[in-house]
Amino acid sequence: MVSLSNSLSFISSPLDQFEIRTLLSLDAPILANMEITVTNIGFYLIVGVSIAFILNGLATNYYQITIYATIHSIVVNQINRTKGQIYFPFIFSLFIFILVNNLIGMIPYGFASTSHFVLTFSISFTIVLGATILGLQKHGLEFFSLFVPAGCPLALLPLLVLVEFLSYVSRNVSLGLRLAANIVAGHLLLHILSSLTYNIMTSGFIFFFMALLPLSFVIAFSGLELAIAFIQSQVFVVLTCSYIKDALELH
Amino acid sequence: MIQASKIIGTGLATTGLIGAGVGIGVVFGALILGVARNPSLRGQLFSYAILGFAFAEATG
Repeated sequence: MVSLSNSLSFISSPLDQFEIRTLLSLDAPILANMEITVTNIGFYLIVGVSIAFILNGLATNYYQITIYATIHSIVVNQINRTKGQIYFPFIFSLFIFILVNNLIGMIPYGFASTSHFVLTFSISFTIVLGATILGLQKHGLEFFSLFVPAGCPLALLPLLVLVEFLSYVSRNVSLGLRLAANIVAGHLLLHILSSLTYNIMTSGFIFFFMALLPLSFVIAFSGLELAIAFIQSQVFVVLTCSYIKDALELH
Repeated sequence: MIQASKIIGTGLATTGLIGAGVGIGVVFGALILGVARNPSLRGQLFSYAILGFAFAEATG
């Protein structure tokens, strides 16, 4: 029992990798003790946006055909074949931003910015609020017919409107929660598996070869996480498109 | 004893992933069924399946 608790105490908390640390800070007594800080999430976001810019500057034919055409078909199919085109730049930059930050998180000892609910919630709340404003601007008060399902009996109306309203409001949370929860779960899984593998591998000569089995699991899960980095950014974009479409067309 | 119970509890907590696994299996099984019945809808069904995979994965 003693050895068990000892061996457990060596494992660092898997949540350490998500800690936000201060890299550079400027404390100046101007403007009521202004404090400008560059944390690691800020640094990695700057790096991610720079990579996205460079990627777009160096855009080759291949890059354009694959990513550009994929996002274009999502926008055109989800929103509208003609009127949806104006949302393409926004959707494309959103996709590239989330994808680049997910992939930076997959680099060992890197930092996954999208694992922070602060970032994903700010993106998702902005998107849903923006879609709501778009709908109100386009349809006026008629926008609220979004909450009334077509052809429902009058007696059920208050209940259904409440349910629709709740589902509309919960879009704010669910859009950001899905992305961050997936990235957090994936990184936690990789951390726990790899620390287990490391502990087995360093405990003896025979164990080194036995640990090749969990090591193969770590590699397989890394592949899965890479796939999830793509899939989550794609799903985020698809849902953003469908929310914009809801606001534009009201069912 | 408490330590052992904590570790057993940690293990039991991971059984929630069974549901996510079943969900992902259902999504892709239904994708195969749908494509087998109508192969011309493959692209559309695949994009729906990816969306369903993400929903199921998000719960796990």
